[in-house]
Amino acid sequence: MNLFRSEEHARRWTGFRPEAEGGLLTLAQMMEAFSAPMFRERGAGDYISRYAQLRPGFLAGLKQITGDHPFWRLKG
Amino acid sequence: MTTALETLDRAYQQMMQAFVRRGQALHYTELARDLGLTPEAGRGVLLDLMDTGVPAWLYDGTDYVASFAPFNNVPTQYRISVEGHQRSFAQCGFEALAVCWLFPGKDVTIEAPCLDCGEALRVVVREGRIVSAEPSTIYAFVDIPFREWRPNLAYS
Repeated sequence: MNLFRSEEHARRWTGFRPEAEGGLLTLAQMMEAFSAPMFRERGAGDYISRYAQLRPGFLAGLKQITGDHPFWRLKG
Repeated sequence: MTTALETLDRAYQQMMQAFVRRGQALHYTELARDLGLTPEAGRGVLLDLMDTGVPAWLYDGTDYVASFAPFNNVPTQYRISVEGHQRSFAQCGFEALAVCWLFPGKDVTIEAPCLDCGEALRVVVREGRIVSAEPSTIYAFVDIPFREWRPNLAYS
């Protein structure tokens, strides 16, 4: 995941592929996705014990944030 | 995996706290010392920790930590500063934003060049809130579909 000065810069980047345009996100969308407990609780002493339980929350949030775009689905 | 879950919890915290404290990973001998283990046992814990599914990996063919989300143990374009002091690098643009959760109550600054034009980007976050973004039009892009991230972690 790379950062660009704007959507236009991302689309102009040599690594941009039109078929992957679902991979474009705003900064606010990124911050929301990475505010799930899976990220917030990395400082918790039992993080590894609970990692498997935290992951579904992140996936559910990602689904909502991206409008369930196929690019962000775990299964194609 | 042979390491007890409780030990993996402790190892994860030791590794994360090392990044928070000094901006670098622990070598397995340091991890062993912190856990009260022999160096070889510490190496085994590190390998098991990397096998838990957290976004982290070793340098190919070594026991050296290359990346341990949200941090990277080698320089990336994502420089992380806390309260004005540059201390580490983020694993990727996504994880750069997640660094803030490890520094509660503090401003975390992400500085990076735009990969298209090379001009600077600067984002300040504090406990999940974007305090400032320069420019305000920042976008993120990843060209690998989410379902393919696990086998391509370093490129995702």
